[in-house]
Amino acid sequence: MVLADLGRKITGALRSMANASVIDEEVLDAMLKEICGALLASDVNVKLVANLRKNIKAAVNFDDMASGLNKRKIIQKAVFDELCKLVDPGVKPFQPVKGKSNVLMFVGLQGSGKTTTCTKVAYQYQKRGWKTCLICADTFRAGAFDQLKQNATKAKIPFYGSYTEADPVIIAEEGVNRFKAEKYEIIIVDTSGRHKQEAELFEEMLQISNAVQPDNTIFVMDATIGQAAEAQARAFKEKVDVGSVIVTKLDGHARGGGALSAVAATNSPIIYLGTGEHLEDLEKFATQPFISKLLGLGDMSGLIDM
Amino acid sequence: MFSFFKGLASGKEITKENLAPILEKTKEALVTKNVAAEIADNLCASLEESLIGEKVGTFTGVAGRVREALEAALTRILSPARNIDILREVQHAQTQGRPYTIAVCGVNVVGKSTNLAKLCFWLLKNNLRVLVAACDTFRAGAVEQLRVHERCLNESFGVDGEDGVMLYQQGYGKDAANIAADAITFAKDARRDVVLIDTAGRMQDNEPLMRSLAKLVKLNNPDLVLFVGEALVGNEAVDQVKKFNQALADYSDQAHPRLIDGIILTKFDTIDDKVGAAISMTYITGQPIVFVGTGQTYKDLRKLNVKAVVQSLIK
Ligand SMILES: Nc1nc2c(ncn2[C@@H]2O[C@H](COP(=O)(O)OP(=O)(O)OP(=O)(O)O)[C@@H](O)[C@H]2O)c(=O)[nH]1
Ligand SMILES: Nc1nc2c(ncn2[C@@H]2O[C@H](COP(=O)(O)OP(=O)(O)OP(=O)(O)O)[C@@H](O)[C@H]2O)c(=O)[nH]1
Ligand SMILES: [Mg+2]
Ligand SMILES: [Mg+2]
Repeated sequence: MVLADLGRKITGALRSMANASVIDEEVLDAMLKEICGALLASDVNVKLVANLRKNIKAAVNFDDMASGLNKRKIIQKAVFDELCKLVDPGVKPFQPVKGKSNVLMFVGLQGSGKTTTCTKVAYQYQKRGWKTCLICADTFRAGAFDQLKQNATKAKIPFYGSYTEADPVIIAEEGVNRFKAEKYEIIIVDTSGRHKQEAELFEEMLQISNAVQPDNTIFVMDATIGQAAEAQARAFKEKVDVGSVIVTKLDGHARGGGALSAVAATNSPIIYLGTGEHLEDLEKFATQPFISKLLGLGDMSGLIDM
Repeated sequence: MFSFFKGLASGKEITKENLAPILEKTKEALVTKNVAAEIADNLCASLEESLIGEKVGTFTGVAGRVREALEAALTRILSPARNIDILREVQHAQTQGRPYTIAVCGVNVVGKSTNLAKLCFWLLKNNLRVLVAACDTFRAGAVEQLRVHERCLNESFGVDGEDGVMLYQQGYGKDAANIAADAITFAKDARRDVVLIDTAGRMQDNEPLMRSLAKLVKLNNPDLVLFVGEALVGNEAVDQVKKFNQALADYSDQAHPRLIDGIILTKFDTIDDKVGAAISMTYITGQPIVFVGTGQTYKDLRKLNVKAVVQSLIK
């Protein structure tokens, strides 16, 4: 499943170190080489991988290490901690307030999974008893409103959009005002896909954001993205105040490492993982279980006991 | 006497040892540019194999020689043997009194429909009459999306469907292979020049959907099967093209199955100099990048500039 390949390679590297008779710099370097290779093959940003290597080396200082210490455990813990750091910016995720209108705005690159994920998130909230709705502020992609409409109808979620209005700022504002007046609690705004190279599209995103004043801006990134992820994520963060990340398409074969790099670039926590095309295919994200799952549950107990 | 001069002129011999740190750096540079790690490894391995034992002049140095060899290798990968000249092939089909057919395929939202519309724009510009077959009967809004393109494209050329583009659709839920077949028959009767077959996005591991793609290709035997891939995609690029080819081969039950003939590399405008996906996809398929998608308007379809891509990679 999720990042299975990466997990296998990392646990493999940890295990081969554990099997070495003497643990010294050379063994550590060999292990780090394997782990870093695995991370790069999973699209984790090259700079982040270099940092991770540096930090683990700094945490494991052979000269200062008293002879009685368990080197294996120290190294394993350093690896575990650094992997956690990769996906956890140490920022608390946004919590919507019951009885209040919470506006969530979805942004991201073309085709990252915004529209699909919007409905999934809305569906989750609705199921848990929140009064939820969807707004289509994408007037760009042909058929975008039909897509949202068909999804929302399937999930029985009220929606707002327009076939004739060409300005997404107006639609977003009208929709949010209407749903606020009707005391909706979770108001989700879907926007067009865009990228940092096109200034006009970025400006439009800022205008939508200014118009709807989102309580949380959610950056959606798909798990197949490679080394271009970091620059895009950083640019989105700089333009609108991204507060959360959702990584989609983590089902199947995807590597996910590029998308994980968005955490560092936006300094925002991952809140959900998208794991399929259907309405229910959304998992809540939590760092420790994610990393322990990544490394295979068996090895987890040994790492966590430290 | 001779060997003395040769020694003077050629300086250093390339060894495994003096090559290793340079190849390490080369690999990292390629991965930074979004070349899949596996392919960066392969490339470096073949550089090693071809360079060890070579003598290099003091001016070039080992690093310079590696760079030279890398540039040549990358250029080779991006310039595959087959040259696809669509307009000429369309003409040829016309002489046979049949429409030329192109099917696009790929994973979800890489830009199949949008770039199919751009392709249509280019064909209309060349005064060809196009039929678009709506064979994505799965994703919400897919048919309406093509309907919008049909309208906009005809408007932008000031023509009606008859002289421009027509949409052939049977709504949602039906079997894509059969719709494509019906569309081609329709196109033949209506004397369209080109049929563009839009298909649903599918993940390369989804067996039922991959089978249905193989069925569509086998049943309709399009003149051109184009794989649409995002320039944004990282290591997954390798798996995508491998498995699309694999599925076309395995599920067709033919001795000589149709495979990917060429690639449309989309969202090239979103990656700055991280152009590595171009290498990953051509390296695996051995097929050319026929078009590059460089934006979201109809005009944003280009030919690949091999030289520029190679320069970005070795910069
Ligand atoms: N397998 C899988 N597919 C997904 C997931 N999330 C989204 N998709 C698919 O990805 C495709 C694109 O999703 P959309 O929601 O249309 O993407 P978008 O970001 O709204 O696209 P634009 O509006 O064009 O920018 C669709 O085919 C979805 O079914 C996921 O978690 N897993
Ligand atoms: N920046 C940029 N965006 C593109 C390009 N090509 C397509 N897009 C965008 O990518 C998104 C998806 O495009 P579609 O053409 O609908 O993709 P698709 O592969 O048909 O998607 P599905 O049918 O859902 O699998 C849209 O938002 C397009 O505008 C391109 O070359 N550059
Ligand atoms: Mg959308
Ligand atoms: Mg499509």
